Amino acid sequence: MKKSVISLFVCSALAAPAAFSSPISNPEIGVVLDGYYQSGERQLSEREEGFGLGHTEINMSANIDDKFRGSLTTVLESHGDHADLLIEEAFIETTSLPHGLNIKGGRFLSSFGSLNNQHLHEDAFAERPVAYRNYLGGHFYDDGVSASVVLPTDLYIRLGVEALSGQQMSAIDDPSTVGIYSATATFGGDISTASSWQLGFSYLRNDNGRVDSFGDHDHDHDHDHPHRFGHDHDHSHSASVTGKHLYGMDFVWKWAPNGNYKYQNLTVSAEWLRLNDATSRDYKFEHDYPGTLDAFYLSGVYRLSPSWSVGARYSEAEDFDVKMYGHYPYFKRETEREFDLMLAWNSSHFGTIRGQYTRAENQRHDREDNIFTLQYVMSFGAHGAHAF
Amino acid sequence: MLSKWLKPATHNQQSRFAPKTLALLAIFAASYALPSHALNVFVCEPEWGALVRAHAPHANIYAATTSRQDPHYVQARPSLISQMRRADLAVCSGAELEIGWLPMLQARSNNAKVQDGQSGMFYASEYVAMLDTHDHVDRSMGDIHAHGNPHVQFAVKDMPRISTALTARLVDIDPDNARQYQANGIRFRGHWHRQITQWEEVAEPLQGLNVVGYHGTYRYLFDWLGIAQVGDLEPKPGLSPTNAHIHSLAQLGADAVDLIVYSSHQDSRPASWLQQRIDKPVLELPLTVEGDQSLTEMIDIVIGDLLKQTGKQTHLPVQ
Ligand SMILES: [Zn+2]
Repeated sequence: MKKSVISLFVCSALAAPAAFSSPISNPEIGVVLDGYYQSGERQLSEREEGFGLGHTEINMSANIDDKFRGSLTTVLESHGDHADLLIEEAFIETTSLPHGLNIKGGRFLSSFGSLNNQHLHEDAFAERPVAYRNYLGGHFYDDGVSASVVLPTDLYIRLGVEALSGQQMSAIDDPSTVGIYSATATFGGDISTASSWQLGFSYLRNDNGRVDSFGDHDHDHDHDHPHRFGHDHDHSHSASVTGKHLYGMDFVWKWAPNGNYKYQNLTVSAEWLRLNDATSRDYKFEHDYPGTLDAFYLSGVYRLSPSWSVGARYSEAEDFDVKMYGHYPYFKRETEREFDLMLAWNSSHFGTIRGQYTRAENQRHDREDNIFTLQYVMSFGAHGAHAF
Repeated sequence: MLSKWLKPATHNQQSRFAPKTLALLAIFAASYALPSHALNVFVCEPEWGALVRAHAPHANIYAATTSRQDPHYVQARPSLISQMRRADLAVCSGAELEIGWLPMLQARSNNAKVQDGQSGMFYASEYVAMLDTHDHVDRSMGDIHAHGNPHVQFAVKDMPRISTALTARLVDIDPDNARQYQANGIRFRGHWHRQITQWEEVAEPLQGLNVVGYHGTYRYLFDWLGIAQVGDLEPKPGLSPTNAHIHSLAQLGADAVDLIVYSSHQDSRPASWLQQRIDKPVLELPLTVEGDQSLTEMIDIVIGDLLKQTGKQTHLPVQ
C-alpha cells in the first residue's frame, strides 16, 4: 500500500513538464536524494551503521492564488525492509496581508532557533548537532499555526509566535491538545558589503514537556533514553529530553570577499539552548536534579572554492538519566559531546559528496566513538532558495 | 499615531505597558505615520538601479548586489529581507537569474506588493527578445536557464522596451507622479535611440571579433555588435573552469581567438591560464554600473574597452 503511494509520487514528480513556460502557474517540484555509508551510529541519529538512505525528500510548492501559497514536503525513510512516508511540511501561508504580516497553518518546521526551520539537505554536516538532536529531535516540525511580522525598519526585525500540537515533544501520557507555544525574535543586518549577521532569541513553552512523576510510568530503564515517551524506535524524531521551558539564542555570521559568495565564503554559527523544568520541582532537592540543562553548538564552514568546502563543529548537550529507588528518583546528569570535521565536494550547485569524521563522547555509556561518514546529497527538479 | 495611543491612557494604564511594548509601538508608529513617502525601490542588480534612477530620480533605491558580486550566488541575508519588506517596487533581471535567493526574499519579507504577479515585482527579461531559450533543459547541460540567457543588462536594443514597461509600472504604483515618470521615460528612450546609432557606428570595427568569454554574461552585447563568442572558460554554464577545459580551448588555436574576456566579479586566473597558452590579450569588462554611473556610461565603457584592447579604436566613443 505504502509502496504504491510512493511510486505514484515519484512518477508524478518525474512527469513534470520539462519546459516550464511560467514559474508562476506550475508547482515547483524538487527531489532530494541522500545516501551514505558510515562506520558507526551517532546517538539519536536517523542514520544507521553501514549503507543507508538518509533524508529522501520530495517537495512541491506553488502559489495557490494571489492570497495563499502552499507547500508540501514529504520524506521517505527506509528502515531495513520497510519504508516510512512522513509528511514533514504541509502548510498554507498568506502572501497578501498588509503591514508585513504572515499567517501560516498546517504542518511546518518551527521557527525556533536558526537551524531548525531550514531543511536538512541545506546543512553543511551529515547530522544536526547533538544539541538539536537532544532538545528538538533533530528538526522540530509540528501541526499548528504561526503568525509573524517583519518590521519596516533598516535593521531586520522579525517577530513570530506559534501554537503547536506538541505531540512530538510530549513527555506525558495524556497531553493537552495545544501543547506548545513559542515566540521568536530575529534581528539582522550587514556589517559591511563583505559580512552580515543575524541574532535570534527563541522561547518555547511545552505544557506537556515536564515529567511530573516517574512512579506512575513503567519505564524501561535499560533503554538509551528512559524519559523519551514518543514511539521508542531508535530513529525517533522526538526530542530526547523535554521540559516545560526551552530558551534559545542563536547567532550567524557570514563573510565573503567583497560579498561575492561564489568563490570563497565563511559561515560561523552558534546556538545555545537551555531547558528548564525537565522534571517536577518536587524533586528539586534530589541529587543532580535536572532543573536547568544546557546545550550548545559552535560551527564554522569555509568554502575554499566553488567545488570544495571544509567545516568543523563542536556541540554539547546536557541530559539526565533517572533510576527509581521505590518512589525516589535518583538523577544522574550527563553530557554528550561531539566534535565533527567535514570535507565536501560540490559537483555543481545541486550535488554534494561529503566526508565527515565525528568524535562522540557519551557519558552514559562511558564511551568514545570515532565515526566516519561518506554521504551524498543531490537534488533534481526545482531547488528552493536557501535561507541565510 | 503614537499620541493617539498615549493620550487616553491614565497613569494606571500606562504603567501596565512594559517599556518594551512602548518601544515597539513607537517603532510601529514612526514607520506608519510617515507622510506619503518617496517610492522605495529594491533592485536585484545595480544596472536596474541606474534605469530606475533615470525614470524616478526621487526614489529611494536599494541595490542588493554590487559589480563585484555574482548575481547567481547571493545570500538571502537579513538586510535584504528588511529592504524587500519596505519596497514598493522590486526590479530584477528575472529569467531565473536570481532563483537561488529572490524567492526567499519575497517569501520572508511578508510584503504583498513584491510577490510574483503583483505590479510591484518587475522582471526586465520579460520585455527582452530572449536568446538561448530551451525547450528542454537538463542539469547535465550545466546551470542553464530554460527561459533564456538572463544577463539582459546588455540587451541594448531592448532597453527602450524595458523603459516603456517600467514607466507603465511606475505610473501604476505611484499615479500621483505619473507625468514625471512618463516625461523621464520619453527622455530616456530618445537619448537611448540616439546612443544606439552612435554606438553601432563606433563599434563597427568590432564586427567579426572572436572572443573567449567567461559565462554568457555578454551574450546580448556580442549578438548586437556582431562579436562571436567562440569559447567559454566555463566547461558548462555555472561550472568552474578546469585545466582540461582550458587545454581544450587552447586547441582552438591563436588564429581563432582575438580576445579573452571576463567580468569584474569573476576570478581572473582562468583567463590568464588561457592567455599563457594562446598569448591573446585579456580584458576585464564591467558586469554592471559602478557607483552612480548611468546605463549609457556602462555601455560606453564596455565598447570603449573592447576597442582599446583590440587596437581597433579608430575614433573614441562619444561621451
Ligand atoms: Zn547566468
